[in-house]
Amino acid sequence: MDFFFGLLQIIGVHTLLGLSAYVVLQTGQVTLAQAGFFSIGAYVSAMLTVLAGWHIIPALLVSATLAGIVAGIVGFPALRIKGLMLVVATIAFGEFIRLFWFNFDYQIEKQGISVGPQGGEGFKQIRFFPENGWSTLDVAIFIWVIVALVMLALWWTDRSRAGAVLRAVGEDELAAQSVGINLTAVKVGAFAAGGFIAGIGGAIYAHYTTHIEHLNFGVMLATFAIAYPILGGLRNVFGTLVAVIFIQGILVEGLRFMGDWRNLLFGALIVLAMNIQPRGLIDERSVKLVRGLFTRDRRN
Amino acid sequence: MDWLDFFQSITDGLLFGSIYALIGIGFTLIFGVMHKINLAYGAASIAGAYVSIAVAAYVPLPALVTFLIAAIGSGAIAFLIYLANFRFIPLASPLATLMATVGMLILIDEIVVHATDGMPQPYPALFADIYIEWGDFGLRGDLIFIFVLSLIAMVVLMFMLYRTRLGIATRAVAQQPVAAQLAGISLDRTNALTFVITGLLGGLAGAMIGASVGVLSPLLVVPITVKGLIVCVIGGLGSIPGAIIAGLAVGAFENFFLAFRGVTERDMYVMLLLFVFLVFRPGGIFSRSVARD
Repeated sequence: MDFFFGLLQIIGVHTLLGLSAYVVLQTGQVTLAQAGFFSIGAYVSAMLTVLAGWHIIPALLVSATLAGIVAGIVGFPALRIKGLMLVVATIAFGEFIRLFWFNFDYQIEKQGISVGPQGGEGFKQIRFFPENGWSTLDVAIFIWVIVALVMLALWWTDRSRAGAVLRAVGEDELAAQSVGINLTAVKVGAFAAGGFIAGIGGAIYAHYTTHIEHLNFGVMLATFAIAYPILGGLRNVFGTLVAVIFIQGILVEGLRFMGDWRNLLFGALIVLAMNIQPRGLIDERSVKLVRGLFTRDRRN
Repeated sequence: MDWLDFFQSITDGLLFGSIYALIGIGFTLIFGVMHKINLAYGAASIAGAYVSIAVAAYVPLPALVTFLIAAIGSGAIAFLIYLANFRFIPLASPLATLMATVGMLILIDEIVVHATDGMPQPYPALFADIYIEWGDFGLRGDLIFIFVLSLIAMVVLMFMLYRTRLGIATRAVAQQPVAAQLAGISLDRTNALTFVITGLLGGLAGAMIGASVGVLSPLLVVPITVKGLIVCVIGGLGSIPGAIIAGLAVGAFENFFLAFRGVTERDMYVMLLLFVFLVFRPGGIFSRSVARD
């Protein structure tokens, strides 16, 4: 049973990662820096619980806020550039943060052993959950409560004026600007919100794996972050969730019996999915199709 | 800091930077013609070099022919990438193309891992035994060979772009696709050929990386992709001379920091260089003024 709870934890954390990119993608910006913000959440929260002895909830909030602030600062230069330039700039920024942790060395003595992030060796012994007697199920519930809160907040934002503003900027910046939308505020806000959510995800990730190192936060993780919302579709938050379950639950875990061939199929399926459904798995067409199955009135 | 070390590291970096220049040209050409990014390009380059090793394992070949086979292999892979990721995905969904090329990158990477069991493969070097000495200052023969070969490749590319029908068609499509079509140029064919050309360049670069590093490994793919993108942005999107200069500059810059700050910090400074450019010269080296919209 622990295996399934573990899988639930992974899906939860990756959903947070995907949602963090979802917010930024809604404003029409492609970001590959999410792995960097994720790593800020991971390292900072782990330092707070291990070195400073905090409880996980304040550590999570503080580290996520810090990730959000850093993301907002990145958002400013990002205002001047878009398209490919932004993709490259955010890749570079994400890599910069990763390399920062690669060179970051800070240990203190605790009960006879030195703990703390140790450059290329990574940060070991993040033992908040086992020390406080949380079972795998408790951790899974904790993660999903947070995921549910974040999804609810985003779902509500989507349906409110703020969501309309985000989408307006994403569809056509010039038109959005000419109806009086402050582009700077919207873009920086979206980056900061995305960084905050990625920070929460990173903080949880650090605590359930108990060992983090810089290699966990490379370009591949960043591409997964944007892969979820793009594969799932930007229509609503559930697209991201569906894509995470599809990739982590079915492709990564479900195909384990195929061994080595699984990874080959993984790349091929992404290519195929994008050829068949270029606007994501949950787009206007598939929503209409599912609705048609449940209602008599085929006109909507 | 010693002046001799300074010049030595800069020179080695400049020579190695010609590889970055080739990769940067590939990204820039595709962006210029299709206004899209092909993130699978670095993977195709390395895969081309792997194809040449596979062929060389069956037939003993001179090293120069291995390079050519790498270029041809990568050209073929680039054509497949065009078919799988660009041909059938509508122009209106750029995110889908981006994602599909990421899928392709993973696919190519995993095929290579699968075929080699993830083991790094030795790659033949050319002129590795030559070492030109000039006092304490020296030049590695294999790096000089790489530099000369990429210069030849660049000259051939420039000739092709400015003097042949295909090159003129490519530039026409890059400038104004609709007008090019009205003039009787097939968009599909031109795009596909551009992909093949970038693939040829990439395969050459992949073989050079193998030759100068000594081994090929799938781990090279992501760093090469990131460096190529950085070169392409510093040089200015769509600018081939920009990509060449930026490639050499990035090579020299990173080798300088490799010599003086160590391998773990090297890439941080390259990223910082990119940021300086994005903030002060977002249009790249050759931009006239800051573009506004």
